[in-house]
Amino acid sequence: MNERPTFSPFWHRVRLMKPKLRPHVQITRQHYRGRRWHVVHDPTSNQFYRLNPIAYDFIGMLDGARDVETAWNASLQKFGDAAPTQNEIIQLIGQLYQSNLLSVDTSPETEQLLRRGRDRFKRKATAQAIGIMYLKIRAFNPDRILTACEPILRPILNRWGFLAWCILLLSALYAVLPHWDKLAADFSSDRIFDPQYLWLVPVAYVVTKGIHEFGHGVICKRNGGQVPEFGFMLLVMFPSPFVDASSAWAFPSKWQRVAVGAGGMIFELTVASLAAFVWVWTQNNGADNSVLCRLAFNVMLSSSFATVLFNANPLMRFDGYYILSDLLETPNLAQRSSKMLMQLVQKHIFRIKNLTPPTTQPGERWILIIYGILAGIYRVFLFFSITLFILGQFFALGLVLAVWTAAAWFILPVGKLIHWLATSGQIAEHRFRTIATTLGLVALAVVILGVIPMPDRRHGTGVVESVTRDTLHFGTEGFVVQVHKRPGERVREGDAIVTLESRELVERKRSVRSQLDEYLVLERDAISKDDPASAGMAIERIKVSQDNMMEIERRLGQLVVRATHDGVVAGSDPALRLGGFVKRGDPVCDIVDPSNIRVAATMDQRQAEWLFDRTAKNRPALECQVRLISDVNTVLNAERFDPPEAGNRQLPSAALGFSGGGSFETDNKDESGRVSKRPQFNVRIWMKEPEVMSAIVLPGERVKVRFKLPPRPLLSQWLDRLEREIQGRVHL
Amino acid sequence: MSSAVTRYHALFESLRSRRRRPDNPKGLDVFASLAKMKLRTRGVSLAWLRSEAEKVNTITPEIRSHSEAALNEIIRETRELFVRGRQDEQTVRRAFAIVREVARRDTGEEAYLVQLMGAMGLYHGRIVEMVTGEGKTLTGSLAAPLLAWHHRYLHIYTVNDYLAQRDADSRAGIYKRMGCDVGAIVQDMDEGQRFGVYAKPITYGTPKQITADWLRDQIRLGQNATPWSGRSLFTSRGGGQGPMIPGLRAALVDEADAVLIDEGVVPLIIARSRREDEMGQVYKDSTWIAKRLDEKVDYTIDHLRRRADLTRRGKHRMAEMAAGLEQPIWRAIRRAEELVRQALVARHCYLNGHQYQIVDGRIVIVDEYTGRFLQDRSWEHGLHQSVEAKENLEVTADRETLARMSFQRFFRSYPFLCGMTGTVADAAVEMEKVYQRPITVVPTNRPIARERWPTRVFRTREAKWNAIVESIEREHGARRPLLVGTRSIEASEFVGQRLTARGLPHRVLNANFDKDEADMVALAGKHNVITVATNMAGRGTDIKLDRESREAGGLHVILTEMHTARRIDRQFIGRAGRQGDPGSAQMFVSLEDEIVRLYAPKLATYVGGLGGGDELTGMAQKRAVALFELAQRRAQKRSRISRAEVLKQDDWIEQNLPGQ
Repeated sequence: MNERPTFSPFWHRVRLMKPKLRPHVQITRQHYRGRRWHVVHDPTSNQFYRLNPIAYDFIGMLDGARDVETAWNASLQKFGDAAPTQNEIIQLIGQLYQSNLLSVDTSPETEQLLRRGRDRFKRKATAQAIGIMYLKIRAFNPDRILTACEPILRPILNRWGFLAWCILLLSALYAVLPHWDKLAADFSSDRIFDPQYLWLVPVAYVVTKGIHEFGHGVICKRNGGQVPEFGFMLLVMFPSPFVDASSAWAFPSKWQRVAVGAGGMIFELTVASLAAFVWVWTQNNGADNSVLCRLAFNVMLSSSFATVLFNANPLMRFDGYYILSDLLETPNLAQRSSKMLMQLVQKHIFRIKNLTPPTTQPGERWILIIYGILAGIYRVFLFFSITLFILGQFFALGLVLAVWTAAAWFILPVGKLIHWLATSGQIAEHRFRTIATTLGLVALAVVILGVIPMPDRRHGTGVVESVTRDTLHFGTEGFVVQVHKRPGERVREGDAIVTLESRELVERKRSVRSQLDEYLVLERDAISKDDPASAGMAIERIKVSQDNMMEIERRLGQLVVRATHDGVVAGSDPALRLGGFVKRGDPVCDIVDPSNIRVAATMDQRQAEWLFDRTAKNRPALECQVRLISDVNTVLNAERFDPPEAGNRQLPSAALGFSGGGSFETDNKDESGRVSKRPQFNVRIWMKEPEVMSAIVLPGERVKVRFKLPPRPLLSQWLDRLEREIQGRVHL
Repeated sequence: MSSAVTRYHALFESLRSRRRRPDNPKGLDVFASLAKMKLRTRGVSLAWLRSEAEKVNTITPEIRSHSEAALNEIIRETRELFVRGRQDEQTVRRAFAIVREVARRDTGEEAYLVQLMGAMGLYHGRIVEMVTGEGKTLTGSLAAPLLAWHHRYLHIYTVNDYLAQRDADSRAGIYKRMGCDVGAIVQDMDEGQRFGVYAKPITYGTPKQITADWLRDQIRLGQNATPWSGRSLFTSRGGGQGPMIPGLRAALVDEADAVLIDEGVVPLIIARSRREDEMGQVYKDSTWIAKRLDEKVDYTIDHLRRRADLTRRGKHRMAEMAAGLEQPIWRAIRRAEELVRQALVARHCYLNGHQYQIVDGRIVIVDEYTGRFLQDRSWEHGLHQSVEAKENLEVTADRETLARMSFQRFFRSYPFLCGMTGTVADAAVEMEKVYQRPITVVPTNRPIARERWPTRVFRTREAKWNAIVESIEREHGARRPLLVGTRSIEASEFVGQRLTARGLPHRVLNANFDKDEADMVALAGKHNVITVATNMAGRGTDIKLDRESREAGGLHVILTEMHTARRIDRQFIGRAGRQGDPGSAQMFVSLEDEIVRLYAPKLATYVGGLGGGDELTGMAQKRAVALFELAQRRAQKRSRISRAEVLKQDDWIEQNLPGQ
């Protein structure tokens, strides 16, 4: 039940006042979700106030000649129960007066005015201190520049201009698409951060952001607004320009407001499109490494990706948020949604009655709830990712920022909750119950998070490998003519796998044989001539030739590569070499023993450090399971695993690296695809029932590995992870 | 000529005071400013006060040796230093020695060390707690001249006009000697007289009088912000007067907790009747509708919050009945419901003999804390009219507020504020938070010889009254004087009837008989006298024992109910055993009493259901006492919250609305 007592004890303070809106105040009519509102706007101070139609009617009656009581009585006559109560009138007048929108017939008191100014400054300073991650520095008033530029751009700032912009965007995309591979390669190879051209990054950034803000300003100006402020916001230590286009809030049409909100992105994407054309031109003209190319590349990326990632994101308080808020016709989306969530908690958990909901419309209600939840989650995510990022870059500063932001985002609300619990009049009746509920919830959370042990699992990927594994090599050089077995096929010892052909050997055999024949003849001659010296020489030669012959024979025998033991062909496919020339010592393939296999797993260093810590003591308590990627439902148990090898950059198999389709980033400089970028942990896992496994998998197959630690409360798991996460980034 | 200067000066000072806005910190700032205040005043500790007082003791003989003329001379010298603001510690000590000596020569009372300590505490702007009956009057009069010297105008607040006049007269000798004129503001003075009194350095008065004068000044000053623009006030058209009060400079509040805390919540309102008002019939109609609705079915009453809620059926029935009524106001549903709810509240929560009394066909409000009539006060927004309609009296015209000032805000307007009381420790935190005044508890001079007898708890009200009468009979038999405290006028008369039925001679002191107050108080200490009194006899009442009653064991105080504020109980009990006299006190409560019914109903039922006879004994008694204490704590908390709420509203208005 919502009560609105008609009378206020403070009525006498306003009763005989004869206020009126300040003469320069502008009022625009806006519609939100089908309801009419009137926005009162003071262009000189950029103060806003939203009035509902009845309040608007009331304010309309205040012309400086009528007193408040007369106007109120008239309002009562007109609207009956819907008319504002005395309390509401006092609130309204107070707020308008505070916002400097209302002039009052009394001479203002200097002290009060000064205090008002002081309070405003204090509020600003506090907001700035709390939001230290977004420090704002004002620079100058850009109104003149915009006034000069706006008429030039006016001809294209309309729907045709927008259409043209869409075409430009699409054609830029079309131009870039053929070079997509190159783009991706440049991007992944970190060419943006090429030290030689590093200076281009901030230049490109500041220029594009400047254009972005210019876009906001110009479109705001185009719609008749004012842009009194230009400055820099230190966004996570990185200066980014901003303009104050808040006068757009008073625009009557929501599309005008959306246009101002989107103006920045429109201009920035225009720049991105132009840069894309330049880049494509440089690609086509072989100016691949010129400064122009790099600049175009940087501008293109920073003004398209950054724009889409940051500005368009409605969960942060940037352009996307205001656009969304206007599109949904839900002003003050963020404040109201957090209020809405708070209210839900107050209503359903604390059971407080007589709450005034931030909205009464069901549609808007859901918008607020959903937005509130998403924004909350995003905020936590953002906090951790930004903090970790900065911690990695500048440790001390990051720590200060982290503590500060944690205070502003988490401790402050907790403090407010405590303050609310302790002092709020709303819960005066049931303070004990409310505090008990809160404590109960906290206790529940503590129990769930901090006491009840939860399964603790860590994951890694691995490949199945055979314990006995032989790599076959070509024993001689030649051309591959026949492949008998391919990977996956079972072989027995001595089975032929590949047959080579070597004309050279055959030729040499023939020539050696003919030589040998020749030497035999020579020997015979010498004996018959009884020339012992010649005979001895011939015998020597025959020996050499015979040795040669044997060697050739042996190599001929090696033309057929045979399995060294029973098993399965694995590794590279010899059929790929069919018809090709191979050198001696080149690997053919592996022969593995499928009945005796194990798993070689690789884990991220951060994931695995605990293994290293604990294997010595707690190894038996660790359970390890292996799942097949090809068949996730099959779970196989491991018997034991070897102590991990730490800090290894060699992957057990190329299949685990990026290039092999795995999840580990591999070093681009390495060709084998088996060297990872960051060191990781390799673990050998011995299966409990290798025969069962060998029946379904073959060596070389990828598997997921899951380590089960003894159950621990979630909180300690998280803290552990956070610690690892920080250690992984910070090099102390 | 000099009068014109005085008037201009008063105007100037008044405007200056009006411009002064006390800070009202919020959130964490409260703690910050609290810490700042503590830090600032940490030097004035009890130990420091004691050492200072001892130093004063050492120079007293020297001052005492001066002749009258020599004393006058050093008074003049010291005063000069104070007026110029040149006083150092040495001078302050000397001044205290002087004023102590002056007081001794004038009244024959030699201030004790603890009184000196208290006076120095006052001088340093603290709220001093001194046990009731420790001679606060003398303590105040030691500090007053020094404060008046330094701050030019000192307002001394007392709880009632009688005390204001009495103290002003009895202390005039001291103040005159110290070079300060003194006057008292009482009810029947006209503006010219008041102007004269306020112009004196020391002015005695009640908060109501002085605040009302201040408010009237404010109304008269209107929008004038500078003395120059306010000069028109001196012309015949502007009333020729100018403001009465020459600014708020310094205040010394006696019974500080009553004035600053208890009454802090009720604002002083200057109102006038509306000229045209046809609402009389409307209130009669709403009362008529309220009578025809049934409790629980049509509406529910929340006695604690004094509010009524209509059920759906009630709303429906109300609409039916309202349909037949003429006034247009009945067409507006919300307003109509408000009226009916108000009539219901008037019917159930406002009772004759408790919240008000009918005197000469008028409703007179009875103050909850002092038990006195609040003449010329009325409840706001039609509640008063609803009560009148309920009692079938003539419905007076609605009154409209012209100006309003809560005492909390008024007293915060003083740049210098100090006070003394017997019972402030219970409200220390609030005092420190709202008024930024630290508390000093001064030890007693003589040990208290009062006995507190164990509280007796009864199951029913009837049993309680019987036991009370028996107890009165017994103590009366011992020839002791008795003071029986009741919470309401009705209860005091009820006790009177019971005593009459038993043939016990007694006097009843309540707001109906306030003319005889002084006589009754003077007699109350005589042996064999039974006085039944409301809270009127609580604060500031000095009951002097005669020899026989002292021998019989002194005054015995019987409390027949527990008050919602512990301080009020303590005050009442404090009537016994003053200044080392013997005495005793006992409280009687029943599980049917309002305080537990309102603040701990479930627990009360539980304790009542534990079994036993009419009187709870042993463990049950202990439990019940704990229950009552809990209920009292809850009640105090509730009023503390409502005070904070009032303050918050006040502050919001102050900050957000233009003008005064």
